[in-house]
Amino acid sequence: MTDDLQILESLKDASTKELAFRHLISKYKERLYWHIRKIVLNHDDTDDVLQNTFIKIWNGIDAFRAESSLFTWLYRIATNESITFLNQRKRKSMTSLNDENQYLIDNLEGDSYFDGDSWQMLLQKAVATLPEKQRLVFNMKYFDEIKYEEMSLILATSVGALKASYHHAVKKVEEYVKSHETRIEP
Amino acid sequence: MYEEDHIEPDFAKRPQNPFRTPDNYFESLEDRIMGNIKVPKTKKSSSTKIIRFLKPVLGIAASFTLIFMLGYYSINTFMLEDTATTELTNPDSTDLLNDYSINLSSIDENSLIDAIFTDETNIFAETNPDEFLAYLSTGLNDVEIYSEIQN
Repeated sequence: MTDDLQILESLKDASTKELAFRHLISKYKERLYWHIRKIVLNHDDTDDVLQNTFIKIWNGIDAFRAESSLFTWLYRIATNESITFLNQRKRKSMTSLNDENQYLIDNLEGDSYFDGDSWQMLLQKAVATLPEKQRLVFNMKYFDEIKYEEMSLILATSVGALKASYHHAVKKVEEYVKSHETRIEP
Repeated sequence: MYEEDHIEPDFAKRPQNPFRTPDNYFESLEDRIMGNIKVPKTKKSSSTKIIRFLKPVLGIAASFTLIFMLGYYSINTFMLEDTATTELTNPDSTDLLNDYSINLSSIDENSLIDAIFTDETNIFAETNPDEFLAYLSTGLNDVEIYSEIQN
């Protein structure tokens, strides 16, 4: 039972709801985890956000009207939960607006589950310096290779605006990497 | 301007995923999530909120009541002991108490009745008739006494 329609049908029946939700978690846990992880960067934070995401999905599944695909709906919830989480953390850490992305870089450097080399760290730092929307678009397009049409439904933004955001994001990341690449020790 | 779908950054390579998870992280995820979902997040009722609000007040009131009761009990106990000691150490009261206890212990119901009637009998028995007449006639002259006797 891996088909979304079957899962949704089973979720409507109280006797099979729990089992169906387990199938839903099994099917989407890894994709949602990596989507959240690229936004919040730290594993522990990702774990918190992922659990909150599934709790939100459980609470809202009865209201899901299948106007969009289940995958899109789940991604939208995960994205919103991630952004909400980051905003809460930034407020708690009293970070100024100019340094708000420093929180993400600190989060990345403090994560014991990051195995990347110095170049990968540089790339993640470059992405962390982007404005929120551009960062989301860059992650979804460059790392997850999600189509603009689908991204448009998840982020509730037009395809044109998403392409523009991605274009600006790529330019900024390239500039950041080029300006910092020479400082990387071989 | 942005119509091209595949804008690629000018990087030498597309990096592999540099992130990892703890061992077996995904295996236990369903159980942990379902465990969290099953915990009912009940909204606290207004009565619970009132109880929570009143708890400190009730605690303070209970403390004051306890202190008052302890104080009252202590004062009551010490005051009674003091009064009893005073009465017992007073010589008059001690004698009285002793007499009373002796009399009470030596007198039963029958002997008390006997004593009452015996005493009355004795009063009349021990009285001399002449003295009795003299007592009665204290307000009368001789003629009056004579006439009384004759009648």
